[in-house]
Amino acid sequence: MTTEVKQMPGLLPDEWLVSYAAGALTEAQALVVATHVGYHPALQARLAEAEDIGGAFLEESAPAQMDDDAFEALMARIDAAPEPAAPAPLPAGDEDLPAPLRRYLGRTLDSLKWRTMGPGMKQHKLANGPGGERLWLLRARGGTAMPVHDHRGTEFTLILRGSYHVGDQHFTPGLMEVAGPEVKDHQPMIDEGEDCICLVVTDAPIRLHSLIGRMVQPFIGL
Amino acid sequence: MYALHLQTGPLTPMLFLTGPVFAGRQDGVLLIQSRSHIDEMSPEELIARVAAHRDRAAFKALFGHFAPRLKSYLITLGLDDEKAGDLMQETLVSVWQKAAQFDAAKARASTWIYRIARNKFIDHTRKMKYPEVDADVHLASFAAPEETDRPVIDGQRAARTVAALDRLKPAQAEVIRLSFYEELSHSQIADRLDLPLGTVKSRIRIAFEALRRELGELQ
Repeated sequence: MTTEVKQMPGLLPDEWLVSYAAGALTEAQALVVATHVGYHPALQARLAEAEDIGGAFLEESAPAQMDDDAFEALMARIDAAPEPAAPAPLPAGDEDLPAPLRRYLGRTLDSLKWRTMGPGMKQHKLANGPGGERLWLLRARGGTAMPVHDHRGTEFTLILRGSYHVGDQHFTPGLMEVAGPEVKDHQPMIDEGEDCICLVVTDAPIRLHSLIGRMVQPFIGL
Repeated sequence: MYALHLQTGPLTPMLFLTGPVFAGRQDGVLLIQSRSHIDEMSPEELIARVAAHRDRAAFKALFGHFAPRLKSYLITLGLDDEKAGDLMQETLVSVWQKAAQFDAAKARASTWIYRIARNKFIDHTRKMKYPEVDADVHLASFAAPEETDRPVIDGQRAARTVAALDRLKPAQAEVIRLSFYEELSHSQIADRLDLPLGTVKSRIRIAFEALRRELGELQ
């Protein structure tokens, strides 16, 4: 039987799995999706079903004309290719994190440089993508109220450590919050206890409500 | 079974009845027998043979099926003939090298090969590594309640998937094709079709659900 998981809050909606499967995501989005899926076997199965669509398109493609010696040419290339290197082992530490993120970071979360971005909040920038897209890590102290903000684009927040809640929704490690322009007055409250660390992708600057927030925004780069 | 006949003496009349294929020398009989055996194997079994024995005959059978389709698919994605042929080769080099990593319990052969080709294509066109879901590494601490088994699936599903896609409303099939053939994001599809973003997302969800239902009935 196939699974019915799409209504579970904190799991990525299907349209993003389909876009991942199709190769239609940016590198930052694909990283956060692959990492999220790494937490959930049911999402892995569901993603494989989305990729079956690609497999079916491949299978049903009208066969192209091949050269007579095409197989011999391929075997010559294989025989000339060096033995593929064994895949690099994952960096030690952070065994609670899925492989795609550990491989991408190449080091532990604690060894990263964290810059203060506001009271109780630090960030580590990872990459800038097309159209103002940013990939970064947020580290917020337990009990911190995040600044109230709106979104101009889509924001993915994948919880890696700690937890937060927005209204009565609770986000714990492995769960993802997707907030689009329809989400107004967004204010995550970090739960008491350990630091909350999140992997975040924003594809347009968020809109902070407070004047101070808007003044420092250019400097913290969100 | 045939090996047993060969060991125990001359071929039995029953075997001669199977046709001229068996009229050759004894080693010829064995050769023909093993080849027809490969012809009957599923792509999943062929990949397993490549993994276990570096079996070139099995790989040639895979090549015969997938190489012309890979090349055609890559041309559909917008590559010229030469580049499509090149990425087809690269994909099949990876199939040869990574055959041992293929897990028939987790993916169909065509899905696994599609995934390799997609990543090669993105690597080539966008100069980036598409972050992969690493199915080999399990997070034991997340024995998620929604855990599920994925049944092994047979080869007829490809045709059924495409047929199911044809039966979708054109508006739904269109968003799937724009995703897979043009790799457009949701907002790019919304711009292209002049639709609200939410409509694009819900069409993709409905189309995927319909395709899953179709394939679910085959399991």
